Amino acid sequence: MVGSGAAGGIAAYVLTIKGLKVLCLEAGRMLEPAHDFFTHKFPYEWPYRGEGKPGQYGKLPQGMEWKIKEWTDHLYTIPAEDPYALAPGSKFTWTRLRAVGGRTNLWGRGCDRFGPLDFKPKSLQDGWGEDWPIGYEDVEPYYERVEQLIGVSGSSEGVYNTPSGKRLLPAFNPRCGEMLIRKGAAKLGIKVMPKPLAVLSRLYDGRPPCHYCGACNWGCDVGARYSSLDVLIPQLRRRKNFELRTNAAVHTILMDRSTGKARGVTYIDTRNGLEYEAYGKAVVLAASLVESIRILMNSRNRDYPSGLANTSGTLGHYLMEHVAFNSIEGFFPELAGRPTTNDDGPGESCLYIPRYNYGHKDQKKYLRGWRLDFYTGCGMSPGPGASLPGFGSAYKKKIKELYPAAVQMGGYGEGLPFFWNYVEIDPGGLRDRFGIPQVRFHTTSEYDHAFAIRDEMYGQMEEILKASGAEIFPYKKQSPYPLGSVTHEAGGCRMGNDPRTSVLDEWNRCHDTKNVLVVDAGCFVSHPEKQITHTIMALAYRASDHLAEEFRRGDA
Amino acid sequence: MGERLIGRRQSLKYLGMLAGTVAGREFLAAWLPKSAAARELDALRRASYHAASNQPNERPYTPLFFEKDELSAVEALTELIIPTDESPGAKEAQVARYIDFIVSAAAEFNPSLQHQWTEGLQLLDRLSREKYRSSFHEISARDKEKLLEEMSLPEHDAGQTHPGYEFYRLVKEMTVEGFYTSRVGLIDVLGYKGLSALGEFPGCTHPEHQT
Repeated sequence: MVGSGAAGGIAAYVLTIKGLKVLCLEAGRMLEPAHDFFTHKFPYEWPYRGEGKPGQYGKLPQGMEWKIKEWTDHLYTIPAEDPYALAPGSKFTWTRLRAVGGRTNLWGRGCDRFGPLDFKPKSLQDGWGEDWPIGYEDVEPYYERVEQLIGVSGSSEGVYNTPSGKRLLPAFNPRCGEMLIRKGAAKLGIKVMPKPLAVLSRLYDGRPPCHYCGACNWGCDVGARYSSLDVLIPQLRRRKNFELRTNAAVHTILMDRSTGKARGVTYIDTRNGLEYEAYGKAVVLAASLVESIRILMNSRNRDYPSGLANTSGTLGHYLMEHVAFNSIEGFFPELAGRPTTNDDGPGESCLYIPRYNYGHKDQKKYLRGWRLDFYTGCGMSPGPGASLPGFGSAYKKKIKELYPAAVQMGGYGEGLPFFWNYVEIDPGGLRDRFGIPQVRFHTTSEYDHAFAIRDEMYGQMEEILKASGAEIFPYKKQSPYPLGSVTHEAGGCRMGNDPRTSVLDEWNRCHDTKNVLVVDAGCFVSHPEKQITHTIMALAYRASDHLAEEFRRGDA
Repeated sequence: MGERLIGRRQSLKYLGMLAGTVAGREFLAAWLPKSAAARELDALRRASYHAASNQPNERPYTPLFFEKDELSAVEALTELIIPTDESPGAKEAQVARYIDFIVSAAAEFNPSLQHQWTEGLQLLDRLSREKYRSSFHEISARDKEKLLEEMSLPEHDAGQTHPGYEFYRLVKEMTVEGFYTSRVGLIDVLGYKGLSALGEFPGCTHPEHQT
């Protein structure tokens, strides 16, 4: 098992409880929430108000800040300190969090299930792209199991192609602004529903409920939101058949020439820089897809000159990401000047707008659809008032007046898979800080569909905000954010029935080498508008379940 | 110092400790009436604020980056942007010192920010001398405000230009940033109530916002 995040945590859990002997190699260190999370710190408790020294964390290609803050700079990999390569004209935002639990420590917690149409975009939607080799009915039982395991709050609303679990914890109570949007959207016939969140709305499985401090993005100090660090790893470490080895950065997969099967991995102990080997009957990659692809490519040898599991030539290709861009800001005159309230709630917004534009008439311009998210209420920043013109007492009063009335709306459009969006080992020979060859991205988010769906979304967001009674501040349309910016990167070793056009089979096993699995988002064939972590976890559960079954039967 | 005072301080300390743990928060939520718990925590927050910022006989501040005259110009600018009125402003939040600290820290990764400030302040003096025959920190408060208003004109009218506009935006952005990330700006002025521990989150309870 390589990695301990969203995919690795679930896969290690399933394999361990099924009685397999599991060695989990994690490139990062162990975290102690009490020492490593600064959940309840105010900006003024940091030397640089939480932002770091000017320029310390670098800028994203689009000029935005990284997610890295002083709360979290000891957790994330700072790009300037361990760079990756970009082909000329390419942009990619690669968020790395090397630690036990991976990015589930600081994730967004949204837990959408993909719908039946999302697995069959080609045959059931518009004939474009590829279908997954599996359907919703194959994944549904695993969505269910993941929800029971991690604890998800939300509600079952029966929205078309947006399935939700039947046994969720109660949904969170929405804020004023969210209620206004629900009313406004209803006028347009658009449904607003509770957002499924991996945050506990009540005591569950021995874990405390959310205490509504709103600071989930800095790590939850009590484990009220799911992370594999808080929820699964402690259970696993009590078991004799599970071993966690931290600071172990996997470099290559070891192959057995006589059988053509993998026999283990090589890894670098990041504390002493020395290379070690570990052996096993199967190798499960769950290192986050870019890392998993990097391991497969770095495992190339005379038998596999273009990288392991790459006879199809598609390894690293078809990288995808949501179509995302700047959100629209405004305010509700109805809420202006109210006394401030504590609107932190469960950190995230409680409601959202699932996809609604099925069967739209603009197939020539853009394909498929989008979801919309909105954020309202008194947060930790002065809100939209600060971008108003002017200064002085009147300006200061305006900020205060609009503070409780702020609203922000953004969304994710479906990202499409293209062969020309790919990642490779840097031909320039760049290596990471441990000497392992580093990747180079060859990606752009600026394709016709992305611009078209963006324009459609801006229009819809304006319409919904206006119907909700909000006033919108002037904004500039921006190019779609580079791939990776939402930290929803997917694809690169997609699954499929045809070994000539895909890397993995429907059980996440490499077509070429059946005892090597990739269980992270690398296997994705399409990238619907929904958040992807739940699907990563469900597929990791499904693939590990199958692997354990193979072992039980003695097939593996 | 009377016994009662010590008692209160002790109890605040325990509350603070309790509020820092899950069990403690559950205990607090169960034991204290809700409004009382909120009041105590609020008092705790305020007490620590006053302890930090209102120390008497403070030693004079030695700027890290700016010259003395420059610092007083920065003080004047920030206090014009977020003035002290019925509520505290940039002066109480010591925004000029925040800017001094941040700009001095920019040496390592973003030295161009230092140039922007040095050149901006020089430009400000030049504009001030052209108009009022003295450098910025010497002219009257009214003249300072007039000059800043001129610099800000393009904000209201995209057709306008002003050589000082870019610097005005830099000052304004960093002032707003510094003020609303300070305890004074965020807690005392905006009244942010979050980042606390609640037993439950009621959400919107206004009948007029329900469907």
